[in-house]
Amino acid sequence: MDIKTDVCNGCGQCVIVCPVQAIRMVDNKAVIDEELCVECSVCYRDANCPVNAIRMKRLKWPRVIRVPFSNVIATHKVTGVPGRGTEEMKTNDVTNRFNIGEIGVSIELGRPGIGTHLENIELFTTRLSKIGVTYEEKSPVTALMVDDKGHINEEIKEQRVLSAIIEFKIPDKKLPQILEVIRKVDKEIDTVFSVGIVSRIKDNNTKEIMNRVSQLGFQVRPNAKINIGLGRP
Amino acid sequence: MTHSLHRKGIEKDLKKDYVVLAMLAAGFNDKYDDSRQKLIKIGEILKNHNPVNIMPEIGWRTSPTVTATFNNIKTVKKIIRILKKEDLGLSIVISGLISEIEKVVKEVDLGVHTIHFSLGNTFGRRELLPQEKILEITTMCGHHTVSSQSITHYLELIKQGKLTVEKAAKKLTKPCVCGIFNTSRAIQILNTLVKD
Ligand code: SF4
Ligand code: SF4
Repeated sequence: MDIKTDVCNGCGQCVIVCPVQAIRMVDNKAVIDEELCVECSVCYRDANCPVNAIRMKRLKWPRVIRVPFSNVIATHKVTGVPGRGTEEMKTNDVTNRFNIGEIGVSIELGRPGIGTHLENIELFTTRLSKIGVTYEEKSPVTALMVDDKGHINEEIKEQRVLSAIIEFKIPDKKLPQILEVIRKVDKEIDTVFSVGIVSRIKDNNTKEIMNRVSQLGFQVRPNAKINIGLGRP
Repeated sequence: MTHSLHRKGIEKDLKKDYVVLAMLAAGFNDKYDDSRQKLIKIGEILKNHNPVNIMPEIGWRTSPTVTATFNNIKTVKKIIRILKKEDLGLSIVISGLISEIEKVVKEVDLGVHTIHFSLGNTFGRRELLPQEKILEITTMCGHHTVSSQSITHYLELIKQGKLTVEKAAKKLTKPCVCGIFNTSRAIQILNTLVKD
């Protein structure tokens, strides 16, 4: 993103809307911190800049990788879904992506609202790959991986994005190992992350998986996403 | 998009916050001549039930999803009943309080197929986060397009009498393009914050 400082009148609207506080006022002009800016386009869309000083820049590789992980309007080529995730459990009644006996996990780095460098992905993926997980093929994060050890493309590691979601599934019995990885990274990472657990439900018994997660020492929120099984191929 | 998964708030407040999503499954039920029409039909059903927010209609025509937000479970129950009767074959996901959703799903003779729940805490450097009440507002946009400093800025203007709570909530709703930001819940939280 670019702000034409010669045009800017210093109204401050863009400073207010930037979700990662990447815009500051310097001598009454708005200035973007290039390192902090995740290229989400919120300032361009929602600041209502009175003098049209905010412009989209043509971004080069590797900076351009920030866009699909930050701009809600951008659709990932690999997923076809606008935003940063995949269909995951939302269409599970049609796709059977997650079966009985399997657990899906979504780890969203940078969420809520802090952002992350892409290199943080490896804090998880190098450990997860050792345990043996099945990464979601259509996930944009999976597309960044260059080997089966969980390493990602060197060229993009320093890029900062609004959030990146690691999506994978495991056989039910590996859940404690995965939660152990979460515990470890919790202490090491320089940003925040949020974790979601997906489970196919048998006999309407949602308690079973939630109790299991609680017994392993993790809190569970009272709200969730529930697929009610109306879909068919 | 984990869209509505990591919404914050206590149970009492979450009772007024439900998101209904319909989605075409790529390579499965998105390939029929009438797939898009079915999604649009669901958009119409949601629109007719007084949502507090809904994805703009252009989204129903271009995106694989339609989403809308409601402030009571009764309406959600009515919608589920209609969708069951219509039998359009598209996936429907309801986000909100698990206990309430389970109850209404059972009442209309459906079940929970798959659940996606959030682990209670945010992990990592929690000290970087704004206060919990601000997070309750920002996390209502799953893509996090709502900035925390816009909330503190609008709160200041409200306190100075330069902006109403309703107008502030409307401004906060604008960046969320999916229609899942709950404007009426934002009004309620802003009112609490103004009193603090
Ligand atoms: S909104 Fe436009 S005029 Fe106002 S500070 Fe930002 S760039 Fe300058
Ligand atoms: S593109 Fe997004 S991150 Fe960058 S300055 Fe604009 S609002 Fe901030």
